[in-house]
Amino acid sequence: MLALLIKRMLTAIPVLLVVATLTFFLMRLVPGGPFDADKNLPPAIVANLNAKYQLDKPVAQQYVTYLSRVVRGDLGISYKYLNRTVRDILGEAMPVSIQLGFTALVLAVLIGVPLGTIAAVNRGSWIDVTAMFLSTAGISVPGFVIGAFLIFIFGVWLKVLPVALWETPWHMVLPSLTLAFSPAAYLARLTRASVLEVLEKDWVRTARSKGLSRWATVMKHTLRNALVPVVTVLGPLTAILITGSFVVEYLYAIPGMGRFFVTAVTNRDYDLIMGTTLVFAALLIVTNAIVDVAYQILDPRMKVEG
Amino acid sequence: MRNFSISSSLLKIVFSKLALVAAFGTVALTSLTGCGNTGASYEPDTFRINLQAEPPSLDWQTSTDSTSFDVVSNIMTGLTMYNNDMKCEPGCAESWEILDGGKHYVFHLRKNALWTDGKPVTAHDFEYAWKRLLDPSTAASYAFFLYDIENAFEFNSGKVKDPNLIGAKALDDWTFSVKLKRPAAYFLYLTAFCSTCPLRKDIVDKFGDRWTEPQNIVTNGPFSVSLWKHEYKIELTSNPKFFEGEPRLKRIKMFMIPEQATAFGLFENNQLDYVDNRSFPTADVESLRSSPMYRNLPLLRCSYLGFNVKKKPFDDKRVRKAISMAVDRTLFPKILRRGEAPAFTWIPPALEGYSEISKSEFNPEAARKLLAQAGYPNGKGFPLTKILYPQREDAKLVVESVQEQIKKNLNVKLQLEVNEWKVYLDILHRDPPQMFRQTWGADYPDPETFMNVFTTHNGNNYTQWSNAHYDDLIDRAAAEQDQKKRAAMYAEGDQMLCQDEVPIVPLYWATQNTMVKPWVKGIGFNAMDLQFFRKVYIEKP
Repeated sequence: MLALLIKRMLTAIPVLLVVATLTFFLMRLVPGGPFDADKNLPPAIVANLNAKYQLDKPVAQQYVTYLSRVVRGDLGISYKYLNRTVRDILGEAMPVSIQLGFTALVLAVLIGVPLGTIAAVNRGSWIDVTAMFLSTAGISVPGFVIGAFLIFIFGVWLKVLPVALWETPWHMVLPSLTLAFSPAAYLARLTRASVLEVLEKDWVRTARSKGLSRWATVMKHTLRNALVPVVTVLGPLTAILITGSFVVEYLYAIPGMGRFFVTAVTNRDYDLIMGTTLVFAALLIVTNAIVDVAYQILDPRMKVEG
Repeated sequence: MRNFSISSSLLKIVFSKLALVAAFGTVALTSLTGCGNTGASYEPDTFRINLQAEPPSLDWQTSTDSTSFDVVSNIMTGLTMYNNDMKCEPGCAESWEILDGGKHYVFHLRKNALWTDGKPVTAHDFEYAWKRLLDPSTAASYAFFLYDIENAFEFNSGKVKDPNLIGAKALDDWTFSVKLKRPAAYFLYLTAFCSTCPLRKDIVDKFGDRWTEPQNIVTNGPFSVSLWKHEYKIELTSNPKFFEGEPRLKRIKMFMIPEQATAFGLFENNQLDYVDNRSFPTADVESLRSSPMYRNLPLLRCSYLGFNVKKKPFDDKRVRKAISMAVDRTLFPKILRRGEAPAFTWIPPALEGYSEISKSEFNPEAARKLLAQAGYPNGKGFPLTKILYPQREDAKLVVESVQEQIKKNLNVKLQLEVNEWKVYLDILHRDPPQMFRQTWGADYPDPETFMNVFTTHNGNNYTQWSNAHYDDLIDRAAAEQDQKKRAAMYAEGDQMLCQDEVPIVPLYWATQNTMVKPWVKGIGFNAMDLQFFRKVYIEKP
């Protein structure tokens, strides 16, 4: 297991290098720069800005400088939020996104897995149809619609939960529900398909024929095997959820990191674009490594060669 | 596997439990937290507003955006301050003299203007600030505000290395002298602008790039920064050392709520006391107009259509004029629905130099004749023409209306080209297309800020229009000290822009829509959309 983790971490280095290189050159190809503004600045001032941020150097030189800074742990500075480093910005925003993302992840698993299991166990019944209708709705309805709906019902109409902002634990309820909705729906569908497949296996029939109750069969002999595909998606899902959601943060005015995936690009905030991309890529690698370890725990046959 | 089913009785139990939990949860949430704020109204001595976005910087010398200025306007005071009539009142300077035909300003500072750490605001703080603003290593975008000062441009562009040659000097602690290259009638306005506020050298030296953080920043305005939770909230508290006396308002909470509907929901739930365009879905404005809390006021910001006069067919001024005469400006307020005012001139009615004679007229019949004279009878043979506009809902509505009107009135089909904001700006900067939709907002309440845009060497003149007489007129008007003569010169320039040469078609003046809770008193508004809260107070309803 340790060998596996070491291997994963070593392969992460070239992966991150490719991600950094592609992102660096792609963002330079997009027209417009960080200092293009509504009001055009005199050339002398543009020259001062470019010199200050070293944008007057050739792109290849900027790339080498950037990489040499990144390996020293310096993610650069923001061109939009003056006097703030990318590490400051992400360091303040990430804990918020992690808090919200984990809550949503737990909610998604707690809702999605039981819902999918119940639907599979009751295949073809009205329970199954209802559960799948709900999960189809959850996948198809965009987050901002669900968010607006929840705000209206619980915030504006019933006035039992805060409309927005990030002050008390109650302020987390609506955003985490909104964020959990779609992954819960997806997990429900995935769990249902997976449980159905396992329920057809011979050992399940054997267990039933030996007189084990149906729920005992599901809990003891089915779920553990059925959860392998669910765990597979939990890796990227975790990375996505804990790096924040633009829509949910925008809608509920939450100071998380999800917004930077969009605003850094629209502002051409080069170092911030690089920072968010690299952090996301690194998290994806870490969560996938954890998934590989989880495979081995769930199913010892699935030894990944070191 | 179909026999695996949960009995209906079990489901009933589950649902009944859920219903109980939901009911209990509702009561508990309401009673424990009051978080829905059903009973909440005002917070004593606290004013809650929405900034919508994170201020990019509280360094008043490097910030360039209205969000940062909304904060800085309340924590800093320059040599002068604007009142809501947009006139300059004494600020840190209690008086000033204008000498040498308008080329030399001498400001006399008040001795009771203090920084939040108790030190007096001196002329040396202004000298340091202005030289830092002009220092190329500061890379301040608004350094050009001081280009009228002797050697300021030269120092900023690296042609002069010695900052002591700049014509801004502290003669002693309380006297600040500014020498200009030529008289600039608008210069006093610049001394009220955030970028020219004083700055403490010892603070910047001590904290470096971190000097704007709440624990480090030292300011001299009516409020001071007590909390800055990035991307979320800034809190200001009243400054007992402010030279006018401590404001009645003790606290301002400035939230950064990006979504308009959310911000408006918070206003409706009494969690915000004041909302403006940033917190107003356009669709709501119509329905809120009758509310006693609603106010609408015109701003010094104009949307216009520009022609690239170097590109066909707009190298012919008859074509430009025909387009201008075929656009009915009165339609835009109906489409945009925020109380906009149709713009028939480039100088807004609130400023000196505005004149009825400059007004463009809507006359489709005359427009068709002009177009025929230019060689395009009934639009025949008109070259393929694109209008560039940024990806914004209001811009889209406007250009679609222009497209429809030009088709109807001139039988000319214009093509629309939309681009993401920075791509749009990049195209405008590199190679302006035949037509584009752009806006301009005043930097200071003087016609010069509008008229200067279309002089030959102004970087914002995307029309490529160049007219020696116009350049000379605007240059002379900027220096003219006689207000009547100056107004007449600007009126002449405006007539050139809107009637004779027509490099642009002014479309409409933007407005600010606001809603203010009844317990908020003393709030004022101004056409520059600068938010000053030093006279605001909260009165128990």
